[in-house]
Amino acid sequence: MKYLYLYALVLLTIVTVSCKKPYNPKLPSLQSNYLVVEGVINSGQDSTVIRLSRTVALTESIKAIPEQNAQLTIESDQNATYPLQELGNGTYVSYSLNLPVSNKYRLHIRTQSGKEYMSDYESVKNTPAIDSIGFIQQPNGIQLYVNTHDPNNDTRYYRWDYAETWNFHAKYQAGYITNGTELVSRTEAQQIYTCFANHFSNDIVLASSAKLINDVIYQNPLTQVSSTSEKLETKYSILVKQYALTKEEYSFWQNLKKNTEQLGSIFDAQPSEVPGNIHCITDPSEPVLGYVGVTNIQQKRVFISKDQLPQTWTAAYPYQCDLDSMFLHSFTGQNQVASFLIPLGSTQFAIAPFTDRRGTLLGYLATGAQCADCTIRGTTTIPSFWK
Amino acid sequence: MKKIYLLGLCILVLFKMANAQDKEEKLINVDFHSARIQQFADDLQSKTGYHFYYEQTQFDSLKITLQATNRTLPAILYMVFDKTEYHFSIFDQNVFLTKGREMRPNLAAGFFTSTSAAEHPPQSIVDYSEEKTAKVPEATTENKMYEIGLRTGNLKGTANLAGYVKNVKTGEGIIGASIYNPDTKIGIATDQFGYYSLTLPKGRQTLVIKGLGMKDTRRKIVLYSDGKLNIEMQEQVTSLKEVKISAEKVANVRSVEMGVNKLDIKSIKQIPTAFGEADVLRVVLTLPGVQTVGEATTGFNVRGGSADQNLILLNDATIYNPSHFFGFFSAFNPDIVKNIELYKSTIPEKYGGRLSSVLDVSDREGNKKKFTGTAGIGLLTSRLNVEGPIIKDKTSFIFGARTTYSDWLLSMLPEAYKHSAASFYDGNFEITHQIDDKNSLYLTTYLSQDKFRLNSDTAYSYSNKNANIKWKHSYNNKLYSVFMTGVDDYQYDVSSSDNPVNAYKLKFSVRQYDLKTDFNYYLNPKNAINFGLSSIYYKLNPGDNEPNGSKSLLAPDRVQMEQALESALYIGDKYDITPKLSVNAGIRYSLYAYLGPQTVDHYAPNLPKETVNIIDSTTYSKNKVINTYQGPEIRLSARYSISDNTSLKASFNTLRQYIHLLSNTTAISPTDTYKLSDPNIKPQIGRQASLGIYHNNQSNTIEMSVEGYYKWISNYLDYKSGATLILNHHIEQDVLETQGKAYGVEFLVKKTAGKLNGWLSYTYSRTFLRQDDPNAGELINGGAYYPANYDKPHAVNFNGNYRFSHRFSISFDVTYSTGRPITLPIAKYEYAGSERVFYSDRNEYRIPDYFRTDFSMNIEGNHKVHQLTHNSWTIGVYNLTGRANAYSTFFSEQGGAINGYQLSIFSKPIPFINYNIRF
Repeated sequence: MKYLYLYALVLLTIVTVSCKKPYNPKLPSLQSNYLVVEGVINSGQDSTVIRLSRTVALTESIKAIPEQNAQLTIESDQNATYPLQELGNGTYVSYSLNLPVSNKYRLHIRTQSGKEYMSDYESVKNTPAIDSIGFIQQPNGIQLYVNTHDPNNDTRYYRWDYAETWNFHAKYQAGYITNGTELVSRTEAQQIYTCFANHFSNDIVLASSAKLINDVIYQNPLTQVSSTSEKLETKYSILVKQYALTKEEYSFWQNLKKNTEQLGSIFDAQPSEVPGNIHCITDPSEPVLGYVGVTNIQQKRVFISKDQLPQTWTAAYPYQCDLDSMFLHSFTGQNQVASFLIPLGSTQFAIAPFTDRRGTLLGYLATGAQCADCTIRGTTTIPSFWK
Repeated sequence: MKKIYLLGLCILVLFKMANAQDKEEKLINVDFHSARIQQFADDLQSKTGYHFYYEQTQFDSLKITLQATNRTLPAILYMVFDKTEYHFSIFDQNVFLTKGREMRPNLAAGFFTSTSAAEHPPQSIVDYSEEKTAKVPEATTENKMYEIGLRTGNLKGTANLAGYVKNVKTGEGIIGASIYNPDTKIGIATDQFGYYSLTLPKGRQTLVIKGLGMKDTRRKIVLYSDGKLNIEMQEQVTSLKEVKISAEKVANVRSVEMGVNKLDIKSIKQIPTAFGEADVLRVVLTLPGVQTVGEATTGFNVRGGSADQNLILLNDATIYNPSHFFGFFSAFNPDIVKNIELYKSTIPEKYGGRLSSVLDVSDREGNKKKFTGTAGIGLLTSRLNVEGPIIKDKTSFIFGARTTYSDWLLSMLPEAYKHSAASFYDGNFEITHQIDDKNSLYLTTYLSQDKFRLNSDTAYSYSNKNANIKWKHSYNNKLYSVFMTGVDDYQYDVSSSDNPVNAYKLKFSVRQYDLKTDFNYYLNPKNAINFGLSSIYYKLNPGDNEPNGSKSLLAPDRVQMEQALESALYIGDKYDITPKLSVNAGIRYSLYAYLGPQTVDHYAPNLPKETVNIIDSTTYSKNKVINTYQGPEIRLSARYSISDNTSLKASFNTLRQYIHLLSNTTAISPTDTYKLSDPNIKPQIGRQASLGIYHNNQSNTIEMSVEGYYKWISNYLDYKSGATLILNHHIEQDVLETQGKAYGVEFLVKKTAGKLNGWLSYTYSRTFLRQDDPNAGELINGGAYYPANYDKPHAVNFNGNYRFSHRFSISFDVTYSTGRPITLPIAKYEYAGSERVFYSDRNEYRIPDYFRTDFSMNIEGNHKVHQLTHNSWTIGVYNLTGRANAYSTFFSEQGGAINGYQLSIFSKPIPFINYNIRF
């Protein structure tokens, strides 16, 4: 039996990537700072957002350096130009372009240093509307999916990104707040018990119906939410944006996904270059990262509330929480309320008073910020779309 | 009674003698072909009117072949019987034939007259070979003197000796055994059937016979004239694991071939493997000049060649996928395999179609004398093999099968892996039939199947199917031929049914029909010629994708079937110019035709092969030749002996390959596809020059060699970024033709005998590829040379075995190599909500060096001959030091941050145990 167990271990190592270990090679710190262009020219109603940044060495602690003070213009093959405004932090926008769909468009970038970059001309690829967003209930959570189709069988390549928003609670509801001299009841505006949090997708979600008779995407997985996640504590919402892609753009995204998300199994494809559609005009040998397509972005929002899910699912609170008793007169004679709860900027939050048998106030139950203050992980502002 | 009769005849003859002269001078023509004595006598009697008297039983083993024109009867008789133990006497009109004793009343007149001999030069070949049906002497005793041919007094000149070397226990032919006269240094090795043909000086001599895994033996012979001698050899009685790499102990130094490694199953079995089961392909990886990308693959790279450039043959059947279970097991059943030969440098002209190497795996023949079998039990697999005679001493079969039962183990794994499944089996069935002394038939069949599902709903299965039949025919001692025809088939399918709308079943298959003839002709002691013809018809289904289930919306997608015919004609000669200098010169001319039905796109010249550059496309009808590729392949090697123990060898080879494996994964994956050369994809061409020095020491028990090589590869396929290889209707648009170069030096020291044996090798080798055609549409690394995936400059292999007793031995195996090249990220950036990495130039960095030690113990049961079963145990540890060797490294985004990881396949010591039964 001992051997059987050993063999089970052996097999485990074979069929899994469980012997995955951190690996940090000593790489020469190359001073690479290539331009990265991210965004889609939105030919529809909504705004076009382009983000410019620079690559950084792997060892850097910052994620990316925004590229500022660049001049961006969308150019059509009919010589029309549409300038973008800088919002700061490397983000450039143009509101509601409503581009004529029969033309081709490209993005023209002139950086602060005077270098010029151009994307290839791309036709406007029409994105069909999202049919529905649903979820499949699994033992340990839900799997969200999207359905769409193009009756003209013309779209074939799709990409999605999404923003999740959810309503959640702190572990304890702090009923009191200090004004610097005493504890007073919190008003509705001061409540820190119910919050909203959000998360933007960081995985690349792609699908293609190129191999199917009809241009139908059926239950394409978007993301999973665990049954113990706070996201499902009361109500969850997801806004899905759908982008139609050209074949080349699809292959760009697929490559990017393969190179950065799908590595580490035995039969891995080798990492390869991810050529985009943007080129440096002033120095053709300079690599530029990114692909700028042209499409009318479609979006759809759905809500999932707790009563649609099994009653047995309970959210696991991310922190260990205890209540402390803060006495007005402790055994040592100290006024703990005055010392810990009343000073402005205190890290302890008063939840509720406690009294003796006769109703005399003895002190307050208190807890730390992570157990009482939901704003450290979210915001109390109700989003405009919330219902 | 016989004597009285003879005496009477003699007296009768004495009276008639006087008037015999005139008739004896009559000129006659004769033409005998393996004639029996009666036929011979009747023919002469009718032509001359002479009566023939002889004792039938004395002559029943005599066969006469003679052509003569315008000869007198005595001249003919003289030609037939001179210098034999047969004698003739002519009295009057009677001819008396005797054996042993001569009747000699007086000398017949006209004896030496030969009219017009000048105008009609004698055209006579006398073949004294024994009667066909009579048994060729089985020379089984060392001290007995065997007489070969018909006894004559003339022992000048040479004569040919041929026959089989067989295993005395099983009757199976022994491959590569050497028959060698130590005095004259004339010798030869048996061929794949155990057949040999050797021209020796006539006279008394001793032959030394050595065979792989066999006890050395010797035979004393007196060679009078051409004849046959079958030799039986004993197996090495100790069933122990002795390393014998070379059949012929002097082969290292004396053979003309370079870069050939030969291993028998005994040395294969002593090398520890991860699951304790002897593995043919793992052993190949320990040989100098052979590299692999990692432990999870049986793909191997020989001297800078890619994994698809190896021709893997199992009894002449081409095996497309030689692996099981994701590549952790090789497809060859160790109980059936007899030996393997890997040709790295000198590739015999009879092989072709792949660039780098030929791995020739030979299975055993079934036991011709009795039923035997073996069974092996491991924790993952079990094996069974049964063999025995169908007709004793003539026909035998061998059957072997393996299967795995790992599913129950998978179900014990944690939830995440619980729903995986994997299984495989393989079976061999072979029949050997000896029709008669000159004709043999060999039937080989092989079947393997793998199925697996890795927790996802996608199910994979693949299968090899092979069958071939060989007919070996000897024309005479010096010439024999082998005709072979067969079918080799490989297919896989991938299916998914989880999402009913997308459910699919994808199928791929490649099939080849082979037809081959090989002739071996031992022209004279200095020349051994072989020539032949081979033809392969390929039928390749690059992929068809069908909906799986009625709800599936999948559009059936079928890439056009491909057909091609690859033919080759070859001739080669091994020529011993002087005893010191031998040359092996061969040429193979290969002709490849890509056949319809097919639609072929034509691309504008000097522009990248892209859809926009298609200028035309042509549709060809069935069997129409679309285009051809052809060219000569040169196979040259030479050996110069500096001394008895030292020699220098050089070789030059060119090869062509018309079928390409398409794979852009690190390891060979079961779902890689093949592509035939077509007007847009040229055949791969390789050239290799090598030079080596060989030295044997300690009476040939220590072999040393140094070999260097340089290799050029053209038109090797690499892939554009993001290439799609499956179901691609225009694969030429996604591939790049690269040029490669490889060079290296291999050092090998080997001890072949004694309690301690094994080998140590060190290899320095480099392999580079380059894609610098600006018209290809994409340059890899800017058109500069970049190291190939399997470029591992330094490699050291040690393989040692120590035999404590006949029942107990231990083996050690140490492997070190430089880490293989990888492409590492050099920068990061943010994209699509996450950090992403930007990769360096291809293969610019390396994973950490590889090091592994394995250990095993072999314990044999007692060696009593008469017991029902013989048992043995193999116990050992794979990766004894537990070093977590990196198989690959990767940088992956998880939760929005970049992390580097290394993946190890076997990161801990792995114990194994195996139990074997022989019955």
